[in-house]
Amino acid sequence: MIQTVGLLLLLSVFLFALVNLAPGGPLSGQGQSRHIDPDKVELLKRQFGLDKPLPTQYLIWLVGNDWMQVDSNGDGAMDGYGTRQGILRGDFGFSFRTRQPVLTEIGQRLPNTIYLTVVTMLVAVLIAIPIGIISAIRQYSSFDITVTTFSFAGQAIPEFWLGLILILVFYAWLKNPFTGDPLLPSGGMTSVDSVGFNLWDRIVHLILPVLTGALGWIAWYSRFLRSSMLDVIHQDYIRTARAKGLSDWGVLSKHALRNALVPLVTLLALDLPYIFGGAIFVETLFAWPGMARLYYQAALERDYPVLMAVLIIGAACIILSNLIADILYAYLDPRIRYE
Amino acid sequence: MNRSRVLSLLTVVLLVAIVLSGCQQNAPSTPAADSKSIVIVIPEDPPSFNPIIADTGYDALVMELVMLGLSDIDANGNVFPELAESLPTLENGGVVMDEDAGTMSVTWKMRQDVKWADGTPVTADDVLFTYASITDPENGGWIPGIDYIDSVDKIDDHSFTVNYNAVYTGYLTQFGGEQVVIWPAHYCDAAQGFAAWDCARQPLSNGPFVLSEWVNGDHMTFTRNENYYQAGKPEIEKISIRIVPDQSVRKTMLLNGDADLDMWTTEPMIADLEGQPNVEVSRSIENRWVMRIFFNLAAKGTTDPVATPHPILSDLRVRQAIRAAIDVDTISKEFFLGYVTPVWTEFFRTPYICNIPRPEFNPETAAALLDEAGWKDTDGDGVRECRGCETAEEGYVMEMDFITYSEYGEPLELTQQFIAEQLGKLGMKINLKIVEGSILWAASTDGGIEQSGNFDIDIWDDGYSGVDPTDFIYSYYAAASAEPDLGYNYMRWSNDEFETLLGDVYTLDEEQRKKDFCEMAAILEEELPQLLLFTAVNADAHSSRLQNVQTSANDLVTWNAADWTLK
Repeated sequence: MIQTVGLLLLLSVFLFALVNLAPGGPLSGQGQSRHIDPDKVELLKRQFGLDKPLPTQYLIWLVGNDWMQVDSNGDGAMDGYGTRQGILRGDFGFSFRTRQPVLTEIGQRLPNTIYLTVVTMLVAVLIAIPIGIISAIRQYSSFDITVTTFSFAGQAIPEFWLGLILILVFYAWLKNPFTGDPLLPSGGMTSVDSVGFNLWDRIVHLILPVLTGALGWIAWYSRFLRSSMLDVIHQDYIRTARAKGLSDWGVLSKHALRNALVPLVTLLALDLPYIFGGAIFVETLFAWPGMARLYYQAALERDYPVLMAVLIIGAACIILSNLIADILYAYLDPRIRYE
Repeated sequence: MNRSRVLSLLTVVLLVAIVLSGCQQNAPSTPAADSKSIVIVIPEDPPSFNPIIADTGYDALVMELVMLGLSDIDANGNVFPELAESLPTLENGGVVMDEDAGTMSVTWKMRQDVKWADGTPVTADDVLFTYASITDPENGGWIPGIDYIDSVDKIDDHSFTVNYNAVYTGYLTQFGGEQVVIWPAHYCDAAQGFAAWDCARQPLSNGPFVLSEWVNGDHMTFTRNENYYQAGKPEIEKISIRIVPDQSVRKTMLLNGDADLDMWTTEPMIADLEGQPNVEVSRSIENRWVMRIFFNLAAKGTTDPVATPHPILSDLRVRQAIRAAIDVDTISKEFFLGYVTPVWTEFFRTPYICNIPRPEFNPETAAALLDEAGWKDTDGDGVRECRGCETAEEGYVMEMDFITYSEYGEPLELTQQFIAEQLGKLGMKINLKIVEGSILWAASTDGGIEQSGNFDIDIWDDGYSGVDPTDFIYSYYAAASAEPDLGYNYMRWSNDEFETLLGDVYTLDEEQRKKDFCEMAAILEEELPQLLLFTAVNADAHSSRLQNVQTSANDLVTWNAADWTLK
C-alpha cells in the first residue's frame, strides 16, 4: 500500500516534469490565431499559474495554494490566499481550454467511455470465449483454421480503416428498406432529436463502434483462450475426468474451461485501464464523446491540468488493475498464495 | 441448468424490450429532413461562447448564434451596427478628436428595442459591465486595443462614451466583430470573473437563437429566439450542432442529407463536393489566410540581425532569388487543387489595396541573382558555396533548414517539399522539418523555435480578421515586435522609414492611411522580409436547401445566421 502511494507520487513528479518540459506550451497560439498577444500572454500566465517556477507549480498542483499568499492581479503585491486545493484534496485545477474544473470535464466524458468500453469488452469476451473453446477442441479443423486466419486479420486491421469502411457500408450505402434512412447512424451516442432514454436508439448507435472496437479484442482473447484451453485439455486431470465417465460437456465446462479461464480473467483485469482511457480512433470516427478524445485534444493544446489529471488517474487505474489481477488470480487459483 | 434457464429468460426479456422500444419510436426521423431545422457539423466542442478565452473559432461560431456586439463586419468588409443604433464617426460627431493631446472619445448610441431572452432590455450598463469585466486584472481577459481605453462613461441607459488615451483606429469593432460581445450585467456572475463565468457556457441570448441543450462532446441545440429584435427573423427554427471529429464522416453526412453545414471545408473536400447536386460550397469574397515564407535575417539561434546577420538570407538578392524560384501557380494547381489565389503583398484586401505588380516566376533570374550575390557551385556537387559573397565566409555552403507546422496537413507539407525541390534545383541544400504549431510558435522561454530565432526559413499561414490591418502590420514588422516574445517580427527586420509610416497610420484620416499603407507596401516589396505566396481558400460547404450562407474572411460563417432561409 505504501509502495503504491510512493510509486504514484514518484510517477506524478515524473509526469509533471515530462508534460511541462515537452517542447511547446499552452500559450503559443490558440485555435485560429497563430499567436497570443504578449499582453494577453502575461495575463494568461498569471491566471494559469505558469508564472511561477516549475517546482512551485508542482507543489501547488499537489497541495494547493490556499495556505500561501498570492499576487492575483499582477501588480507585484500579495493580494491574499490562493484558492487552489491541490489534487491531494481532490482539486485537479481547471482546464486551460474551457476554464471548467478538470473533474467536471472528466465527469462529462468518463461515463460515455465506460459505457462504450464495457459493452465492447463484453461483446468481445462473449464472442471470443466460444470461438476460443471450439478452436481448441477442434484444433486444426477448418473452423480453427478460418478463425485463426480471421483473428490474425482482426489484430492487423487498423481500427480507423475498419471504422470508415463500416460507416461507408452501413451508413452511406445500405438503406433501411422501410424508411429509406441509412441503415445505421454514422456516429454519436444517441440521435440528436431523441427525447429521454430510448434503448433501441442506444443499441443502434452502439453497433458500429462496438464492432470496430471489439474485433481486435475478439482476435486477441480468442487466441489467448485457445492456447490456454489447449494447455489444459492435455492435462492428466482431464483424462481422469473423462475416465470417470463424465460427458464431454461436463469435462469441458467443469474442468477444462474453469481452469483455462483463469489466465484470461487476469488478462481482462489488466485490460481494465482501457475502460478509463477509451480508444481514440473509435471515439473520433464515431463521434463518441469520450475520454480518449478529451485526452488527445488536451495533449495537442497542451492543456496541462487536463493532461495531468488523465495521466495520473490513468496511472492509478493501471496500478489498481494490477492489484485486482493479482487478487483475482489468487482467488481463482487456490495454489497461489501471497505472503 | 437452472442458471441457463434464467439466462435464456433474461435474453428473451431483453429481446422483447428491444423490439418494443423499436416499435415505439417509428422510423427515426433525421433532423435535417425537418422543414425548419438544420444540422451543423463541426469537429470539436466549442470551449465556451466567449472566443476571447480560447479563440478556437468554434466558440465564435456558436457565439454569433446567440450574442450581439455593438457592431459586426459583413462579408464585403463593411462594418454594420448590431446593438448600436448607428456607427459613430468623425462626420456624424460620434467621434471627437483632441488633436493636441492625441486622444479621442467615441460616443455610442444603442438600439432601444433589443432585449435579453428573459425580457430585460440591453442597456449601456451591460456595456460598462462588459468593459469592467474584461479589464479586471485578476479574472479578466484581453481584447485588442483595450489598453488604449482610459474609461467608459455612461450618458444614459442607451448611450455611453469611450475615452481613449490615443487614436485607436480599430474602435468601430472593438466591442463587436468576431470576438467581442456585450454580456448581461444582471445575469453573469461578476465574482466568477470574465474568463471563467458560467454565463459563457449557459449564455443568456440577445441574438437570433437561444441555446436549449448542450451535451458536451456530442451535440448542442439552439432554438429560435422569439424575442429577437429583427421582426420575422430568424426563419430557421432549430439549429443542431453535432460534434463529428472525422472529416470524411462529416462529408458523408453532408452528402447523405444528414448535415446542412460543414465549417472550414478544405480544398480536397471542396473538390470532392464539386458537382454534387445537394451540396454547395460558399467561398469568402476575400481571403484572410496568407501562406507566407519567413526569412530569418539574423543568424540561426540569434535574434540580432546587426550583430549576427544571417550568413545567407541577410543578402536581399538571395531573398529575391528565392522568390523568383517559387512557382506559385503550380503549387496552387497541384496541392491546393486550384482553389487558392496568388498574393504578393500584405495590402490586398479592402479597403487597403495597393498596386504592386505580381512578381514573375523565373528560375533563370533566380540563378543570375545568386551568381551576382557571390553564391556559386564551384565544386560541382550541386550546392552553391560562398564565392565572393558579402554575408558569409568564403566557402560557406548554402544549406538551410526549412520548417513548417504539422496541423495544416498534407497540402502544406507537399508545398514545403515542392519549394525545397525548386530551391534545390537552384543550388541550395534545404533540410525539411515539420513540427507542431505549439512548438513553432511557443514563447522563447518555452523553447519556441521562431521566438528564439532558431530557424532559417519557415512557411505557414496568417492574416488579420476584420478590416483594420494596423495592429497586424505592427506586430509583424515593427522594430519593437522583433524583441523575443514581444511581437512576431521573427525576421528581426526593421526599417526607419517604415517605422515613421507605422506611427502615422494611427489616424482616422482614411486617405492618409491608404497612402501610408501603400508606401509601406512598396518598402516591403523592396526589402522582402517575408514572402507572401497565396491565400488558402476560406469556405464552408452547405446543403443546397440552406440559402443565404455567406462565408466571410471577417467572421465565422454564422455571422448572418439570422438571414438564413430554407428552400
